[in-house]
Amino acid sequence: MPRLAPSSPLNGFRQEFDRLEITEITDLALVSIASPQGREAELASAVSGAYGIALPPVGSSVEADAGEPRFLGLQPGQCFALFERQDEGPVDIIARKLSDAGYYTDQSDSWAVLRVSGTRCREALERICPLDLHPQTFVTGAVARTVMEHLGVIIFRDGEDSFLLLSARSSAPSFLHAVVTSAKNIQ
Amino acid sequence: MIINHPLLGPRDASEFVYLGDASLIDRPDWQAKDAQQQFHDYLYLRDNPAGAHRELWFHEQGDRSWLVVTRDTITHEITNVELARDVALQRGRGR
Repeated sequence: MPRLAPSSPLNGFRQEFDRLEITEITDLALVSIASPQGREAELASAVSGAYGIALPPVGSSVEADAGEPRFLGLQPGQCFALFERQDEGPVDIIARKLSDAGYYTDQSDSWAVLRVSGTRCREALERICPLDLHPQTFVTGAVARTVMEHLGVIIFRDGEDSFLLLSARSSAPSFLHAVVTSAKNIQ
Repeated sequence: MIINHPLLGPRDASEFVYLGDASLIDRPDWQAKDAQQQFHDYLYLRDNPAGAHRELWFHEQGDRSWLVVTRDTITHEITNVELARDVALQRGRGR
């Protein structure tokens, strides 16, 4: 039986620039949660019962207690749960808490995750991101789906000077190239 | 062109794809006696106004919602944006 070693979409990429850093994040699990037609209230009460939080409206996110998932409101009737990878399967972790109140899909291995951080991160992103990332408009905790260099991206602001970018694993090297090029262009 | 999404605020039109006339929401009843005629009209007959036009846009690179956008076909000015779901529900559709 051969032993297989897991490899991340961008081989653990990390590069530092002037007041800017681009790092691949590999320790996150991602589960999409869709509410069944007409049972939206059931899912909402399951989430508030299990995690003590209300489901976030589209465009924002909310974090349960430390170590619990952060829920990203991405579209009506659907959110993503983002949490630290554990030995247990990501869907099992969610289903154990919410039982069958929603439809769960493990998307952890489908996305490449980059963190762009540092005081110049907004400068680096404003050349490829069509959204207004001013901290008063795109506040800490805000989340959106958009396009960068024709590639679909989920952008999540996880700090004043820190963004998580999620893009499809299949085109991850092209996406990384776009982000790194944008970072080099402001040096 | 900027489309002011009702949930997300202003978004660039490049995130959207265009489908066509918003009358496509009013799909005829397939069991009606004159269903064939109704579907012919539904599929082939379109107004082609020079001016305000209600049309369906899909936010494919965003929150995947369908929108009814009222756009002036002469100036491209967008005067109203609604969720297509809300429009369909207003017209008595079940979902």
